[in-house]
Amino acid sequence: MAAAADVRDMLDLPAEGQPRPAKKAKVVEKRPEGITRELYALLGERAPPIAINENKYKGRPKFMNKLRVRKWCMTPFANNARSDGLVLNHWQREHESTRPPAPEPNQMELDETKEGGKDEAPKPKEQEYAFAKYNIKARVPRRYTDEEYNRHLKSDDWSREETDYLMNLATEYDLRWVIIADRYDYQRHLDSEPDANAIVPAKQYRTMEQMKSRYYYIAATMLAIEHPPSEMSEAEFALHEQMLKYDPDRERDRKELAALQLNRTADEVREEAMLLEELKRITSNEQNFITERRELYSRLEVPISVGNTAMYQSSQGLSQLLQTLLQADKSKKRRSILGPEGAIPSPVGQTPTQATALGRAETPGTTAATKDTKKGPAVPPTQPAVRTLTPAEEARYGVQHHERLQGGVQFRSDRAQKLTQAKSNVQTQKLASALAELEIPLRLFMPTERVCKNFEKLIQSVNLLLDARKVAEKVESEIRVLEAARAERERKNAPEGSNKDPEHPEVKTEADDGGNSMLGSTAADATESGVSAAGETGQAKGDEAVSTQTPVKEDGNHKRSASVLSSVSDKSSKRQRR
Amino acid sequence: MNPSNPPQAAEYGGDEVSAIVLDPGYSTTRAGFAGEDAPKSLIPTYYGKYNADGQEKLVFGDDIFVTPRPAMSIHNPIGKDGIVEDWDMAEKVWEYSFTSRLTGTKPGNPFLNGLNDIPAEELPTEMEVELEEKSLADSPLLMTEPAWNPAKAREKTIEIAMEKWGTPAFYLARNGVLASFASGKASALVIDIGASNISITPVHDGMILKRGVQHSPLGGDYISSQIRALFKKNSPQPITITPHYLISSKTAVEAGQPPQAKYRTYPADKAPDASYRALLEERTLSEFKECVVQVWPGPNKLSATGPTGASNEEMARSTPGRPFEFPDGYNQVFGVDRFRVVESLFDVKAAIPDPDSPVPAPTQAQTIPELIKASLGGVDVDIRPHLLANVVVTGGSSLLYGFTDRLNHELMQLFPGPRVRISAPGNTAERRFGSWIGGSILASLGTFHQMWISKKEYDEHGANIVEKRCK
Repeated sequence: MAAAADVRDMLDLPAEGQPRPAKKAKVVEKRPEGITRELYALLGERAPPIAINENKYKGRPKFMNKLRVRKWCMTPFANNARSDGLVLNHWQREHESTRPPAPEPNQMELDETKEGGKDEAPKPKEQEYAFAKYNIKARVPRRYTDEEYNRHLKSDDWSREETDYLMNLATEYDLRWVIIADRYDYQRHLDSEPDANAIVPAKQYRTMEQMKSRYYYIAATMLAIEHPPSEMSEAEFALHEQMLKYDPDRERDRKELAALQLNRTADEVREEAMLLEELKRITSNEQNFITERRELYSRLEVPISVGNTAMYQSSQGLSQLLQTLLQADKSKKRRSILGPEGAIPSPVGQTPTQATALGRAETPGTTAATKDTKKGPAVPPTQPAVRTLTPAEEARYGVQHHERLQGGVQFRSDRAQKLTQAKSNVQTQKLASALAELEIPLRLFMPTERVCKNFEKLIQSVNLLLDARKVAEKVESEIRVLEAARAERERKNAPEGSNKDPEHPEVKTEADDGGNSMLGSTAADATESGVSAAGETGQAKGDEAVSTQTPVKEDGNHKRSASVLSSVSDKSSKRQRR
Repeated sequence: MNPSNPPQAAEYGGDEVSAIVLDPGYSTTRAGFAGEDAPKSLIPTYYGKYNADGQEKLVFGDDIFVTPRPAMSIHNPIGKDGIVEDWDMAEKVWEYSFTSRLTGTKPGNPFLNGLNDIPAEELPTEMEVELEEKSLADSPLLMTEPAWNPAKAREKTIEIAMEKWGTPAFYLARNGVLASFASGKASALVIDIGASNISITPVHDGMILKRGVQHSPLGGDYISSQIRALFKKNSPQPITITPHYLISSKTAVEAGQPPQAKYRTYPADKAPDASYRALLEERTLSEFKECVVQVWPGPNKLSATGPTGASNEEMARSTPGRPFEFPDGYNQVFGVDRFRVVESLFDVKAAIPDPDSPVPAPTQAQTIPELIKASLGGVDVDIRPHLLANVVVTGGSSLLYGFTDRLNHELMQLFPGPRVRISAPGNTAERRFGSWIGGSILASLGTFHQMWISKKEYDEHGANIVEKRCK
C-alpha cells in the first residue's frame, strides 16, 4: 500500500504542506461504571447529563479472595486492672499470637500485674489486657503511722478520724478537689457514736480551702519526714515549699473575687467592655500621636543646607541632584519626611524653612487637639474670623491674654511649685509646714487656672503672715529684753525716776529695723501698718497668728485653726492689696 | 483503611464485651447493646394489668397501646420523682425491655416444656441447675439512674441485676454523666428535660457534683397538664381530647367547628380503665407538643416587651399560627397560646392556672433558670465558667421547638459575664437517648471494664458495693 508520502509525490502535492484534516479522533469516553456496554452504546456519544450510577456493593478486592480467611472468635479475657479476675468475652482474631502484641507491656503494667493479677486463676491468654495500663492512680503521700501523727500532725481543728477520712477521700477521688469538697460528709460517720443523737454536734462545714490546707500540710510533712529538706531533690523541695505556702485565706479571697467577677450584671459587663474599648482607642491614639510627633521631629531635623546653589543651576547639576536624592531616598527609608504628596525635600534651603513653618503651624494645632480636647476645640488658632469674646466666654473657653510670653512649654503646676520655694531653706520649710497645716499639698492635684491663681494668692499671704510673725517674735523678744533691762535698772536705781517714755520709740525703731532688714518692702509696709498705723490691731493680729500657730504645730491638723489662719491671711492680703 | 483489618486497639479505645445498656426512664425504658448508636429496644415504662379468666395478666411494651381490653388499667412502676416505687413491676418491665428484643427468652428445659414425654423416673435431677438459667447470664449490664437516686434504691437495683437476672458484671451510672459523655465531655452542666422531671446535673471529670444536683417536676407531663388547662379554657368551646380508640369514623370539618365523628362506645363491663384513656390522651398530647407547641425563643420573657417596644406577646401573635387536628376531626389554628403552655418553664407567672389539675402549680424555684442558678451555686466557683461553657441539653421534652434558643437567652441573661455555650444534638434520637448513648459509649470502652462490679465482688461485699464503686 502506498504511503501517504508516495501519493503526495504522485499528485505533486507539497509534502505535508497542508495540514491533514484532523482525523476525527475517536473520543473514547470512559464508560461510567454501572452502565452495561450495550446500554452505553445506545446512548450515543453525547450521554445525557444524568448519573445512572447505582451504588453497588463492591465486595472484596479480587486479590483478597486468595487470602486465607482469618477467623475471629469470642475469647474470654481477664483484666489485670481488676483484682477479682472477672472474665469477660470479646471478639478477637483467632491467632492473635502470630501477630506481635501491639501494646508492649511497660513498667506500669508489670507493676499492676504484681499487685493485681496474682490470684487470678484462669488466665486465658498469656497476653496482657491492652487497656490495663491506663489504670493509673494519683500519687498520694504515704499514710502516716500513729507515732508520726502524734508527733508531727496533731491539730486542734482536725481530729485524727477526720484527717483519716480526708486522706481516704483524697485517695479515692484522686485529688480532684472539686469532687472531694462536694462529697465531703464527715458528720455522718460520727453518728455511730451512741450519744450522737443526744448531743448533736454542730454541723461543721469544711470548705475546700480548709481541706486543701490540711492535706497539703500533711503531704508536706510526710515529704519532709521521708527526706529532710536538706536532702530533697530540687523538684521535691519546690513541691514542699509550694505545699507549705498554701494560704487558705488568700484562696478564699480569690474565690470571692472570682464569684464577683462571675456574677457581674449585664451593665457592668457592658461597661467593662466599653472601658476596654476606650482603652484600646486611647492606646492606639497615643501610638498615633507618637508616630506623628516622631514624623514632625524628623521633619524639623532635616539639615538646613547653606551651600551655594550655583551647582544646581545647570540641567546637568539638577539631574545629578535628582540622582543623589533618589539614592539617598533608597538608602534611607525616610518615608516620614516624604509627605503624602511625595515632595522631595531639596537641600537648597527653601524646603526646610517650609517644613519648619509647616511644623510650627502644626504644633499648636496638634497640641490643642490632643491636650486641650476638654477645653474645647472652639479656639483653633487658625480660625480666620476674629471674634471678640465676652469675659464669660473667655472664662469658659479658657482664653487668656498674656503681656509677654516666654518661649517654650511650661507647666502651670511648675509655676505654682516655684512659689513654694523661698530663698532660704528655713523659710521654705515654714511655708511647707503652713501648707501642711492647711491640708494643701505642696504639689497641687488639679492645677487649673483658677486654682493656681488662688494658690498664688495663698502663698503670698502665708509669706506675709510668716513675716509678720517673725517681726512680732522679734519685737516681743526685744520687749522682753528691754523689760528685763528696765527691771534691772529699776532694781538698781529704784529711787531714780522712771524713764519709760523714751523706751517706746526705741522699740518701734527696733521693730522697723528688723522689718527692713529681713523682709521685702511689702512685708515691711504691712508690719508698719500693723504696728503703728493700725495701732493695736496689727499687734493683736501678729499675736493671734503666733498664738494660733504655736498650738497647731503641736497637734497636727486642726481645722479651726486652719480656718482662722486662712481668714487672717485673707485679711492681711486684702490689706496688702490696699 | 482496609475494613477487614481490625483497628489498633489504641485507635479508639473500644473493646466490646456485648454489654447491655439499660436506661430506665419514667416514660420510656431504653435498652440495647453497648457500642451501638441507638437503643434497639424502646418500650414504654407503663404496663397494663387486666383480669382474664380470673387470672391477672400483664401487658408490656407497645402492646399496651393497641387493644383496649376490658378493665385494663395502666400503671407505672416509677414514681413521679423518677425513683422506682414498685420494685417487682419495675423488674418485670426492665426484664421485658431486654428479653423482648435483645437476648431473647431462653429455651426452657426440654423436659419441662410439655412437648416431650418423659417417664417420671428419667427426669434428671441435675437439670435443676439449668433451670436456674438467668436472663442475662452472659451480658454485663450497665444501668442508669437519676442523680438523686437514694442508696437503698441503688442497692435494690444491683440486687435485682445480680440475683434475678444473673448478670456476670454490673454497673450503675448516673444519667447526667452519661449524657455528658454522649456529647463528648467529661465536665458539663447537663440539663435533662424528661417526662416527669427536669434535672440539672453538674458533672466534673465524669462524676456528678451532688450538691449541685437540682430537679423539679416541670417535665413533659407538666406541659401536658398545661395543655389540658389551655384546652379547658379554649374560647369558642372547650376542647376535649378523644383518643383514637374511641373513634370509629370521622368526617372533615372546618376549623373551629364541632367535630362530626362516630364514636365507639364500650359497655361498662368491657370498657378499659380510666387510666387507659389517660395514657392514650397523653399520646395525642405528645403529638400536639411535637407539632404545635413552641417555646418563645427570647430574648426576654413572653410577657416582657421586646427591643422594638412592642410586647413579645404581640410579636408572637404576629407569627402564623399552627393548625392541629384532633383524632375526632376537630381542628383549630393555635396562635399565641402555643407559646403560653411552656412559658411557665421559664416564667412561673405565665403558668395557666387549672384548679382541677392533679399537678400542683409550679413555684418560682422550680423554673429552669432558677434551677440552674441554684445548681451553679452549689458547685465550686472555679468550675462554674467551665460548666457554663459546656451546657448539655438532653431529654425528649427538650425537643420543643425553640427551647435551646430560649435557654441560651436565659443563660446569657443570668450570666452576662462568662461565655455560655449550649451543646444540644440536632439529631432527635441523640437528644432523646442521650444518656443511653453515653452508656453505650462507656460500656464499650476498654478502660471501663475494670469498673464493673463482678458477681464475685457482689457476693463478697454485698449490695453495698454499689455505693463504693459507682460514685
